[in-house]
Amino acid sequence: MTNLTARSTDDSKMNKSMSSTVLPATTLSTTEKVTLSLKKRHQREKRFKRIGLLAVLFGFMLVTVLITDITSKALPAFHQHWVKLDINYKSDWLNVDNSLSQNISANQLKTANYRKVLKNSLYQMFSTSQSKKLSRKEKRQLVQLFSTNAEFTLKDTLMSTPGHLNKQMSVWVRLDDDVDSYLKESFPVGEAGLRINKQQALWLAKLTAEQRIESRFNVSFFTASDSREPELAGIKGALTGTLLTMFVTLLLSFPLGVAGALYLEEFAPKNRWTDLIEININNLAAVPSIVFGLLGLAVIINLFGLPRSAPLVGGIVLTLMTLPTIIIASRAAIKAVPPSLREAALGLGASKMQVTFSHVLPQAMPGIITGAIIGIAQALGETAPLLMIGMVAFIVDVPTSIVDSATVLPVQIFLWADSPERAFLAKTSAAILVLLALLLVINITATVLRAKFEKK
Amino acid sequence: MNAINLKQSDSSQIELNQIELVETVGNIYADNAKMKIRGADVFYGDKQAIHNVSLDLAKNQVTALIGPSGCGKSTFLRCLNRMNDTIDICRVTGQLMLDDDDIYAKNLDPVLLRARVGMVFQKPNPFPKSIYDNVAYGARIHGLTNNKAELDEIVETSLQKAGLFNEVKDRLKEPGTGLSGGQQQRLCIARTIAVSPEVILMDEPASALDPIATAIIEELIDELKEKYTIAIVTHSMQQAARVSQHTAYFHMGKLVEMGKTEDIFTRPSHKLTENYITGRFG
Repeated sequence: MTNLTARSTDDSKMNKSMSSTVLPATTLSTTEKVTLSLKKRHQREKRFKRIGLLAVLFGFMLVTVLITDITSKALPAFHQHWVKLDINYKSDWLNVDNSLSQNISANQLKTANYRKVLKNSLYQMFSTSQSKKLSRKEKRQLVQLFSTNAEFTLKDTLMSTPGHLNKQMSVWVRLDDDVDSYLKESFPVGEAGLRINKQQALWLAKLTAEQRIESRFNVSFFTASDSREPELAGIKGALTGTLLTMFVTLLLSFPLGVAGALYLEEFAPKNRWTDLIEININNLAAVPSIVFGLLGLAVIINLFGLPRSAPLVGGIVLTLMTLPTIIIASRAAIKAVPPSLREAALGLGASKMQVTFSHVLPQAMPGIITGAIIGIAQALGETAPLLMIGMVAFIVDVPTSIVDSATVLPVQIFLWADSPERAFLAKTSAAILVLLALLLVINITATVLRAKFEKK
Repeated sequence: MNAINLKQSDSSQIELNQIELVETVGNIYADNAKMKIRGADVFYGDKQAIHNVSLDLAKNQVTALIGPSGCGKSTFLRCLNRMNDTIDICRVTGQLMLDDDDIYAKNLDPVLLRARVGMVFQKPNPFPKSIYDNVAYGARIHGLTNNKAELDEIVETSLQKAGLFNEVKDRLKEPGTGLSGGQQQRLCIARTIAVSPEVILMDEPASALDPIATAIIEELIDELKEKYTIAIVTHSMQQAARVSQHTAYFHMGKLVEMGKTEDIFTRPSHKLTENYITGRFG
């Protein structure tokens, strides 16, 4: 009683308009008491709703800021500048025997000196217009404007059209990454920029004026592998590596995880041993991932002799990491299957195996898929354990099997973020975007699969 | 009220301690017994749930198990097709015979036993599959037929026997969970019949249903006894009186009295039975 009186006086202090109606608690009816507390209860509910909404908005804002920032930084990486050069395929520059000009063999064209062709064509283009010879320093600076890949572009062009030998033709080649960045950052025409001096800027202004420079969609970002030259570097290798690694991870962790969970929930006796196993699985989920990397290095590579840097090993290491997540989520999903369903099937004479696979598993599937996706999404972004097993190596080839050397997207991001070249900044953000897109694809697949299983 | 009830259960406690030494009152034997249970004890861990129960289930007749909540009648029923096996701490001793087979014998497979002794549960629990698949499931898992036409035949006759066929014949492909509660329970009965069991155990099959659905189920039970031996647990004395030929009264894990239903309800021999059926406690 004393408590009640105290409460009602509290209320009266809080709410002066109601204080006139407050009587001693003993004389209040239930309706009156409820009315007194009602306002406070509604206020509490409103306050909680507001806090919840704020939390959601905050999370949403963070995601928006993140995506906007990354996208704005990544956009420059999706296009790059090409330049049209007048190339003179003189046979003596190419170091090809002129006397046999009618039937030059492909082999001769392959080993020809295209660097000299490029250089001499450039000197020709720029010295004639300036009516004086370029100095050694100027020559070096001029060649620096173009990608090291330019000479290979010249080679490919001539190889596909051998008839242009000893003739002049226009060839589109990539500009160097520093020039590309300079053009993207839109400095005033002819002004020096970062890593571009006055003379180089003037040359670029001249090329622009002659409409020889063009911005194109950066196809090679998606078709090329890693490179030391930012203008040539692409993500195909890392993306393929990621897909192969995830393939191995999913192939190992999903069946193992589901089988483990089914055994523990449906078949294993409940005793001290299974309790111990449960604790260990929960602990395993909390182990720092780099430890799994060390384990992979010590056991899978050094003891079993599997190849270094391979998606196979990466997949096995990530399986160790993903397995506990899948087991824990699957067990929860299996536990949530109503026991009446099991009883119904058992009562009809279904064996434990039949109950498990025709009733429990389909019912638990949506939950299991969610767990698997969380696990795979974690594995997708994992970097540390893969560093330990050598997936951090600089790999230029696109892996074609799970035992080829490969790297993965997060490691590629790490490598590019660590590179000094300015153009890698945009590449890093672009690679993050690709990773996020991959994550989105996986999540959508999961949602579709869930819906499919829930409908059944 | 509470005080009075407490007093009564106190007094029944005293009487119960006395009957522990005494045999079950009435007649536990049937002329034509399908199942014979002798001296069954059931333990959950250290706790004994069923004390030395012996009774017969008469062939092609309905035996009702009645008694207050927690008296062990459901536990006892679930022993008859070894559903209690799924509970790790549950232990059953005594002799439980189906015809000439000891159902707790080491070499008897519970899967085979449950094909012979079917069960219908308190809450309708159709599988989240189509009506057809619900009924066909038992036949499929036991490999009763590989023939689609035969399976269709089994599904149709089972649904007919359960009195559901006319209501669902146009929507056999629709999910069984979409039916009404009473229909769901009849679907569960059809599902049980489809396996052609010898005995059907029913654990309060109508307790979640309205009076009309209950009446349909009761009628159905009456028809089913022509082919099957039925044991039914029920909380409704009227239901026991209506559908059963034999009644067993359980109290605190013990079988207090058993006999012909008309005798139990008109001339109960034991004080506890009388108290229960006249509605003085329970």
